[in-house]
Amino acid sequence: MSTATSTHADEGFNLKEWIFTTDHKRIGVMYLIGSIAAFAVAGMMALMMRLEQAQLGAQFIETGTDYNEWLYFHGAAMILAFLIPGLTGFAANYFLPLMIGAPDVAFPRINAFSIWLFYFAIILALISIVIPDTPDIMWTGYPPYAVTTAGNTSFYVFTVHLLGFSSILGAVNFLVTVIYMRAPGMGWNQLNVFVWTTLAAFVLQLVFIPVLAAAVTLLLFDKYLGTHFFNPAAGGDVLLYQNLFWFYSHPAVYVIFLPAVGIMFEVIATMAKNPVFNYKVCIYGGIGGIVAIGGEVWIHHLYVTGMPDWIRIGMMISTLLISVPVGLVVMSLWGTLWRAAITYNVAMMYCVAMLYLIMVGGLTGIPLAMTSLTVHLSETSFIHAHFHFIMGLFSTYAVFAAVYYWFPKMTGRMADTGMAKIGFYLNFAGINLTFWPLFIIGPQGMPRRYWNYEMFPQFEGYHEVATVGAFLTAAGVAIMIYGWIKCAISGEKAPANPWNSRSLEWTHAPNPPGPGNFTESVTVSAGWSPYDYHK
Amino acid sequence: MSVESEVAHTGGTQHEHHWETSWAPLVLVAGIFMLVPIGFSGYFVYENQMMTIIGAGLGVPLILAGVAKWVQEGMSHENLVVGVSIVGLPIFIVSEIFIFLGLFASYWMMRLSAGNNWPPEGTPDINTTIPLIMTVILVSSSLTMHVAEVKLDNKDNGGFNKWLIISILLGTLFLGCTVYEYQHLIHEGFVPETNAYSSAFYSITGFHASHVFIGLATFVAVLIPALKGKTNHAFVVCASVYWHFVDVVWFFVVSQIYFW
Repeated sequence: MSTATSTHADEGFNLKEWIFTTDHKRIGVMYLIGSIAAFAVAGMMALMMRLEQAQLGAQFIETGTDYNEWLYFHGAAMILAFLIPGLTGFAANYFLPLMIGAPDVAFPRINAFSIWLFYFAIILALISIVIPDTPDIMWTGYPPYAVTTAGNTSFYVFTVHLLGFSSILGAVNFLVTVIYMRAPGMGWNQLNVFVWTTLAAFVLQLVFIPVLAAAVTLLLFDKYLGTHFFNPAAGGDVLLYQNLFWFYSHPAVYVIFLPAVGIMFEVIATMAKNPVFNYKVCIYGGIGGIVAIGGEVWIHHLYVTGMPDWIRIGMMISTLLISVPVGLVVMSLWGTLWRAAITYNVAMMYCVAMLYLIMVGGLTGIPLAMTSLTVHLSETSFIHAHFHFIMGLFSTYAVFAAVYYWFPKMTGRMADTGMAKIGFYLNFAGINLTFWPLFIIGPQGMPRRYWNYEMFPQFEGYHEVATVGAFLTAAGVAIMIYGWIKCAISGEKAPANPWNSRSLEWTHAPNPPGPGNFTESVTVSAGWSPYDYHK
Repeated sequence: MSVESEVAHTGGTQHEHHWETSWAPLVLVAGIFMLVPIGFSGYFVYENQMMTIIGAGLGVPLILAGVAKWVQEGMSHENLVVGVSIVGLPIFIVSEIFIFLGLFASYWMMRLSAGNNWPPEGTPDINTTIPLIMTVILVSSSLTMHVAEVKLDNKDNGGFNKWLIISILLGTLFLGCTVYEYQHLIHEGFVPETNAYSSAFYSITGFHASHVFIGLATFVAVLIPALKGKTNHAFVVCASVYWHFVDVVWFFVVSQIYFW
């Protein structure tokens, strides 16, 4: 007799089946709900910071530590609890097994283990904002402050541990899934770009997260067990932490960037009805190149903290070099649109915005890569606007595009409403209003991370505009999330393959797929491709 | 449609009719959450006895229940793809290698920047005989585990149990040596707070010892069903490969921490 509980699939909602589920689709939906919740709370923190900066002097802040706590939660939750779980958790979980024709991931119980590590990490993060000694060390946790602060550094460390463990197990799970569970006949050059980018992201997670785990563990030891890893007075080294931290946290940018690009390829190829331009160059040169170089650029986060020149110059070269593989990927994105009759649905609108974000974000990255310029731009709002464009907003839009594009797959209903378009325009106008002023005042001397900028009264107008933009964005997001909930319950019924895609998740699985995904197991022939639009 | 003709439908053997569930992962995570973040913070951060007792008191039984249920399910369930766990474990070990690399890199950085002032003031003479004895014990346990695997391949379940128990005893002896060594050093005033070397010493050897402990726990999880005559080949191979990995790491620990 089988010992695992197996219940029959009923129509309707069964709470026990959801909580104890090991099914990749339900785990994917749970990742989406958890990461959007984290996004909402972290977004509130951003609004509070923007409101505080709207005018000179204190608006409603009590002590500077409040600002540090908002900054801590905003950064840590957006990156670790929204973007990474939203892309490699939600999107990879739900769609990767469907795209390769697999009934589930290789280790469904380990997958359930990962989602619960993620949820308990969120619980811990939420506990840490209500306790009296909230961590106030931003998402980076630099010593010596993280060691000497009265804030609870241990909750930060354990949040990172839980999320990191979750991602490492996810990496093991998905690497094995893609290697061993592709539909019979599916060769490596027939994979969706999203499968490739997810694979690349998980390789990076597998190799680099452990180093972050080591870094924060040593932080914990230093603060609570009295070790001296980061204490120069006793033979330790403060820069050691920064090196270990950025050794993971720079590749983490690619962990987020790569699946976001993968989602873009799925949407763009489908809406343009074109095969992916330069597929092999994009995969092996672009994505492979990012994985190969991504681990050798972390020192550019330490340009101004004191590094020997020869290291700075070497890392400047590798940082500039990474624009070559990124350029190959972007070329494939634009090439896929060549001579296409493009369908502009909401997912595609977000992807067009992403083409703009990657352009502005990428170009503003070039001066920051150069040591001579970065010395002046570092710690100004220019860098703040740069990484919000290329990383924050770009990847956030990828999550939104993924939800709109696959909404019919997940719910059997459409989410492409007029409201959704209004939400998009508000959001897009808002982000430009927020971050262009910051791009402008950064080189003029506006520092980042200041809650009060009384010494720079000339920037007040820019900050007012940025704050208005932040609230426009929030309004757009609120309309969007309201629309998702409404459409999931009572949206227009979707046809089986609303975008006429050729990818397996649309052509072979029902909306939404049941247990085991496919009604019959799938095999593909040598001539098949998920982007087979020209036959 | 051209796609339809190129993508053939084959027999419906993989179609499943119900949603798979298991409570083991949730219970295990809840246990880890109570034991590690709550228990640790209760003891070291808030120095609150009640919080520590609640954390550990709920955490340990939840972990044991989760592991027991998981092992039981794993023994009686077929994987979707037979034998993939044997591939999954080495991939996981890659990340383990990197966490040890992170720790060793920290140690090397401190060690190299100290130049000739090493070991720093306050370090007593570290006995190098104990780590050699420990090396012999750990290598022997790897060998006995290999013998156990061979016995299992020859369908000799009694022999497998016997050699597995010997490996567990050797592993326990190894941990006993660690405890003895720590007690001795702490008695001499060499504690994690002492200096940079003691920080690295306790972090790295302690982290390795925790891996030995996990390996031993895995062996016990293999042994309990094996005593009733139930073994899962993939599970045994994984436990054994993990043990060999922990053994190999020990060579780095000994050579870097004790003999450099």
